[in-house]
Parts: sequence; C-alpha cells; structure tokens
Amino acid sequence: MTTNIPGNLRYTKEHEWALVEGQTVTVGITDFAQSALGDIVFLEVPEVGTNLKAGATFGVVESIKSVSDLYAPISGEVLAKNSDLEGSPEKINADAYGAWLIKVKVKDVAELNNLLTAEQYQEFCNTSH
Amino acid sequence: MTTLKTSLFDEHVKLGAKIVPFAGWDMPVQYTSVKDEVLAVRQAVGVFDVSHMGEFFVEGEDAESFVDQLVTNDILGSPSGKAIYSPLCRENGTVIDDLIVYKLRPGRVLICVNASNIEKDFSWIKSKHVGFKCALTNASDRYSLLALQGPRAFETLRPLLSELPDIEYYSVYESSFEGQPVIVARTGYTGEDGFEIFGGHESVKNLWQKLMALKVTPCGLAARDVLRLEVCYPLYGHELTDEVNPYDAGLAWTVKAAKTKFIGKDALLPKPARYKLIKLILEKGIPREGYSVLNSSHKVIGTVTSGTMSVVLNKGVALARIEIDKAPSDEVFLVDIRQKAYPAQLTKKPFVTGGHK
Repeated sequence: MTTNIPGNLRYTKEHEWALVEGQTVTVGITDFAQSALGDIVFLEVPEVGTNLKAGATFGVVESIKSVSDLYAPISGEVLAKNSDLEGSPEKINADAYGAWLIKVKVKDVAELNNLLTAEQYQEFCNTSH
Repeated sequence: MTTLKTSLFDEHVKLGAKIVPFAGWDMPVQYTSVKDEVLAVRQAVGVFDVSHMGEFFVEGEDAESFVDQLVTNDILGSPSGKAIYSPLCRENGTVIDDLIVYKLRPGRVLICVNASNIEKDFSWIKSKHVGFKCALTNASDRYSLLALQGPRAFETLRPLLSELPDIEYYSVYESSFEGQPVIVARTGYTGEDGFEIFGGHESVKNLWQKLMALKVTPCGLAARDVLRLEVCYPLYGHELTDEVNPYDAGLAWTVKAAKTKFIGKDALLPKPARYKLIKLILEKGIPREGYSVLNSSHKVIGTVTSGTMSVVLNKGVALARIEIDKAPSDEVFLVDIRQKAYPAQLTKKPFVTGGHK
C-alpha cells in the first residue's frame, strides 16, 4: 500500500505522527490512519493543561462507522488544541499532516527515541497490513 | 472456516472496495466514502451486492398457506405479486429471523432471509414442513442479488430489462435480463424507492457491469447500515435477536392476531413486551451499539442496539432497547459515551423520511 509518510516526522505504531520542534511536539494522525478510518465525523481531544502519558489514550477519533482511540506519542502537558478542527474534523481527511490535533510540552526528551522514524513506520505499515 | 465470496467479488476488488468478513462472507464494506455512498442512494441511485442473503422457494398448491402459518404477518390476505415483510417466530414468540415473502404467482413463493440465518431458518422451516402439499428448496447457492436503490432506480433499471412495469412498492415481477429470467422486487433496505434483482450468477454479474458503465454508485455494507438506521429499519443481531419477540422490537404491526393460526400466536396474543425500542437523536456525541441509555437520575435503563452518525442529519442517531418498566415518564434520556452522559432527544418518527412511494 502506498501512503504519504513525511520524512521529517516521527510516528507511533498506533498511527499518530509527531513533529518535534525543541521542547514542543505537535501531534496528529497519519494519512494511513485517516484513509483507513474513512469520513471523520467526530474528534475528542483533552483540554489545554491536561497531562498526557506516553502510550496512553488521550482522545478519540470517530468515522461514521467506527471509534478509534488516540495514543500519546510522548508524555507531557497539552499546550494547545487545534480549534480549526472544532466542528469540522473532516479536515483531517483532507490533510492529515496539516490538521494537527494537539501540541504537547515534552516532559522527557529521551522518550522521543521510542518513536518510529518515517522509514520504520513505512516498514511497519507494509508488514502489518 | 474459509469465507465465501459472491460472484461479484472480483468486481469489488477491481473497484478498490475495502473488503470485510460479514456473516461468513467476504463483502465490500465501502468503495470510496460512506458519506458519498449514502448520499448517492438518497439523491440519485446506488447499487449493493447483497448476494450473501438467502433465497428459499416454496412451490405447490399449499405454498401460500404453508408460509402463512410460519410467519406472524398476513400472507394469505395479500394478492399474488405482493411482497410482505415479516418476523419468523418460535412457539414462544422469540424471533428466529426477519424476512421478506414474495408471492411470485399462485403456488410459487420466494422467501429472502438474512445471510447469517440461512441454515437456522431453513432447518426450522423444514422441520415445520409436514402435511403441506408444497416443495421447499434452499436456492441460496444458485442466486445472486443486487439492490438498486434511490430515486433514479426505476429509470435506470427499466431500459435494461425485457420489461418492467411501474409496479407498486413492495411488489414483485418476473422479468428477464439478456434473455435470462430475473425476479425483480420493488423492495430494499434504505427507505428509498428501489429494486432488488434476484438472478443467476452470470446474469447478475453482467447486470452489475452494465450498472457500473451507467455510472451507478457502488455502495457497501457500511452505507447500507447507515441508510437502514436513518429510516429506523431493524437489523437482525441488533434490534432483533433470538431472545426478543416482535413487540420488543417495535414490530407490533407485523403480528396479525386475526389470523386463525401461526407459529407463536399463543405466546404473542397477550402482546408480551418486556422492552421498548426507542429512537434517539444526539446534538453532540455519536451513540454506538452497546452504549448504556440513562434516565435523568443517570440510572441505566437500556442499551443502544444500533448507533451511527446520520449522514443526512449530521447528528448522532440511535435505536435503543429500553426495559419497559424503566421507561421514564419525563422522557429524558442520556447516552453514556466514554463515561460522559450526553443528552438524547426522543423522537417518534424515523430520523429520515425515505422517498419510496
């Protein structure tokens, strides 16, 4: 399966992407994930100030027919959520890497090493689906 | 167990459909977008491969009377050429399946049943087939089935068949396609006008290809489920199960107490309902099967049997089974979505009004 996987991002096995910029990580779901979900109709993300734990669920994305948990790529405090998506979560289908979900202040930089590189994520998508 | 494939499986793969296992079959769940497929059926025309469904024929002079005493709805009272929706019940009134009885012509009846219940239904019906002058055949393997649904279904289908009069909704007509016999019923599971076309595997495959050439939208099981839920049609395994009777599922209208005899009559005559099937609309949140329904004091009073985002309303909609003695008089309902109670509005009418005549 061919899918869009930008080289400058890091990834989780649950199909989230993470853009690392200093102490801030921007989080979204991958093109592979939005395509597998289909028409996205509902998004639930935590309020600013919420503390996330790497690997734990932090929200939910729903398509017409399915519900999927979102998993935090790293631990830390939610700095912002994307207000552009409120009422129009379908923007994720249109541009999975532009339609970010939350920004997180990194608590432990070492955790970033646990994330997949673009190459590893591509490999993961190829072998597990 | 290996999954079965319909005669159109290769066509679905060619169209890039997402395939999922369903009732023992590999079925297309969606082609492009569930939303686009739903809207095609509501506004134009779409086609579903529903060849996984079962077809039984009952033929002989007692065909109608045999089927009439099997099911709760009135078969003998309808003229030849009509289609009748009915539950099939046990003596204790619980539902074995819901099905459509097609009165093709005197002495020839077609019964269309759910794919997941083919074996259960056929062995039940066979066990009751004693003392009637009619033959019973499970022809499920020999038939493919398309559902062509939407306001443009009639104008799309008519030129393709040898003849197709403008028959009434819930009627059936025996026609032919490219010289081969097909059974054409003005029925469906979407609330829209439309037809279900039963035919041999080759004929149905050729018809499918013709419809694709005419740019009819191929639609998958996900769109089918949204469409039926928007118009509040029950689905076996959800609103209907082996444990409930027709009254529990809002199907009182299908139980004809005036009939002299049918299986389950004695149990169903007192109208024994333990549950009530209600319709809920949510301004926020999407209800899903299995979510709890709460009253104003946040006590669990029932369960969502089917839920989705309605494409037409752009709101969450649900059918829910409520325990009758817990039905709140204030009609305040909440749905528990991930430990948060979302207000739900009770509605009496279907969420969407289909366009069928």
